[in-house]
Amino acid sequence: MNSKLKRIYVPMTESGFYILFCLQQPQHGYGISQQVKRMTGGELIISAGTMYGTLSKMEKDELIVFEREEEKRKLYRITELGKEILNLEMKRIERLYKNSKGVEINE
Amino acid sequence: MNNRKTVIRFFTIADYEEEEAWLQNQHKNAWKLLRMIFPCFYIFEKSTPEDVAYRLDYQNNAETSNYFQIFRDYGWEYIGQCVGWMYFRKPLSEADSEQDSEIFSDNESRVDMINHVVKTRMCPLCILFLCCVLPNFLRSIGTADPLATVFTVFFSVMTLIYLYLIIYCGLKLRKLRKKYTND
Repeated sequence: MNSKLKRIYVPMTESGFYILFCLQQPQHGYGISQQVKRMTGGELIISAGTMYGTLSKMEKDELIVFEREEEKRKLYRITELGKEILNLEMKRIERLYKNSKGVEINE
Repeated sequence: MNNRKTVIRFFTIADYEEEEAWLQNQHKNAWKLLRMIFPCFYIFEKSTPEDVAYRLDYQNNAETSNYFQIFRDYGWEYIGQCVGWMYFRKPLSEADSEQDSEIFSDNESRVDMINHVVKTRMCPLCILFLCCVLPNFLRSIGTADPLATVFTVFFSVMTLIYLYLIIYCGLKLRKLRKKYTND
């Protein structure tokens, strides 16, 4: 994997993580924001500009790809590269979580 | 007809937060923004006083229907655009949280927008100044021709305006970026 992309996206912003995570299923911008709202009990709200900006950036970096259009809404889904980055990020967060709980990690 | 007014007010590329607050205040005083004409004309229509959030997004490339659809889904009304600035509004009574009345929910995206403004607006301004305004000014000083005096006056005024804009916007955008990076 491109080390530049890794530097940009690992670690990623909380919004970025949820957006990429949700795109394991095809979804459009507003749909993602509703899903994230549910997943976080309303704690994390991703605004329109942040959503559009993140989707555009991730599409440009080929982490996600345009899937189809539904009533003027673009649906995206994650790419193989996106999955690789998401996995790296999930491992990092898992390590963070385990360390914060004081669990020893044997890798 | 008194149900329309045109206001002349100049905001630089670094004053978008002041512009938002000013437009919100106008709406509170029953003046609803109809459209904006470059560089400093605002056309308002008499309306009912209401607390409405006005927000500016900067997008210098042609925006797709998907862009507008996302904002519409979030309840933003698109008013129009003016040299890359997209004007949106949403009544605060419809916003169910503080973030819902904002178009950016994290500082990274606020900083991204500032960087975009610097790259596509500040840099061309500096290049225009260094490659066109300043050389012409210097050349007009060095010429003895009486006609050159007119040019000297014109280009010295231009040089002052450009210098003011570059320094003012440069410092202000840097301050904004710092504010959002350290938050």
